[in-house]
Amino acid sequence: MKLKKITIQKETKVTFSSPELLFLAQSGQPYRGVLHVQFESVGESFDLLDFKKYITSLRSKNFYAEDIAHEIFTTIEQNINTKNLGVVVDLTARGGIQQRLSFGFNFEPTFKNRFFQV
Amino acid sequence: MPTHHKAELTNLGSKITNYSYEYNPKLLETFENAHPQNDYWVTLNADEFTSLCPITNQPDFGTLIINYIPHINMVESKSLKLYLFSFINNGEFHEEVVNKIGKDLVALMQPKYLEVIGLFYPRGNISIHPSFFYAKEEEKYQKIKEHRFMNHNLNPKREG
Repeated sequence: MKLKKITIQKETKVTFSSPELLFLAQSGQPYRGVLHVQFESVGESFDLLDFKKYITSLRSKNFYAEDIAHEIFTTIEQNINTKNLGVVVDLTARGGIQQRLSFGFNFEPTFKNRFFQV
Repeated sequence: MPTHHKAELTNLGSKITNYSYEYNPKLLETFENAHPQNDYWVTLNADEFTSLCPITNQPDFGTLIINYIPHINMVESKSLKLYLFSFINNGEFHEEVVNKIGKDLVALMQPKYLEVIGLFYPRGNISIHPSFFYAKEEEKYQKIKEHRFMNHNLNPKREG
């Protein structure tokens, strides 16, 4: 999916968090999770509206849970140049088991309980 | 909607689960309350509810809290999960969807009392928390409904 590239200052650490990740397992069962994306700018970022549309598009797509971080990482990597790009997905528990999927640069996500969403 | 004996429930324990991507109240199933002579609360929390904005088609998310006092029939939770998921592609305002779910559950169970509270995620910096209340005609349950309705949100506070 195409994410519109925008020009930003270099060497800025950028972090995105969304509690609204939803995609389908191969069985059709829904997965819900919190998405975290982090990178250091080399002068580029992506349009936030495009990213929201991309995340929304996953609602009707089937993935193995273990592949979701790679999917998002690859989409970002194909659209903009970054340094130390990392993706972390914390899925809500299924059958009493919680999964965290990470791909790329390792970072520990922090999550604000109360942030405003537009 | 018929009440099922435990052995007749079609979703719970099924090895194959079919997910409906269109609103489908027929997915709901009940089982018989073993203690209908007792008044007791049942709370069902659904943290992963999602539907669409009917105008923009953008996704909405929220937590649904269902509190009820059962009578003869009780909703089976896996069928409730599948039913709630069937809203995924349904365009509904938050206020509509909470009332629709409340009415579907009343039609299903005919409970002594039932309320549905929707805690939807903010959109445009505004979060919407609609509530649905139902009680049987019996005075005792009408008093519960009146009390909970009259005392709703007396101490408002900022919530995510």
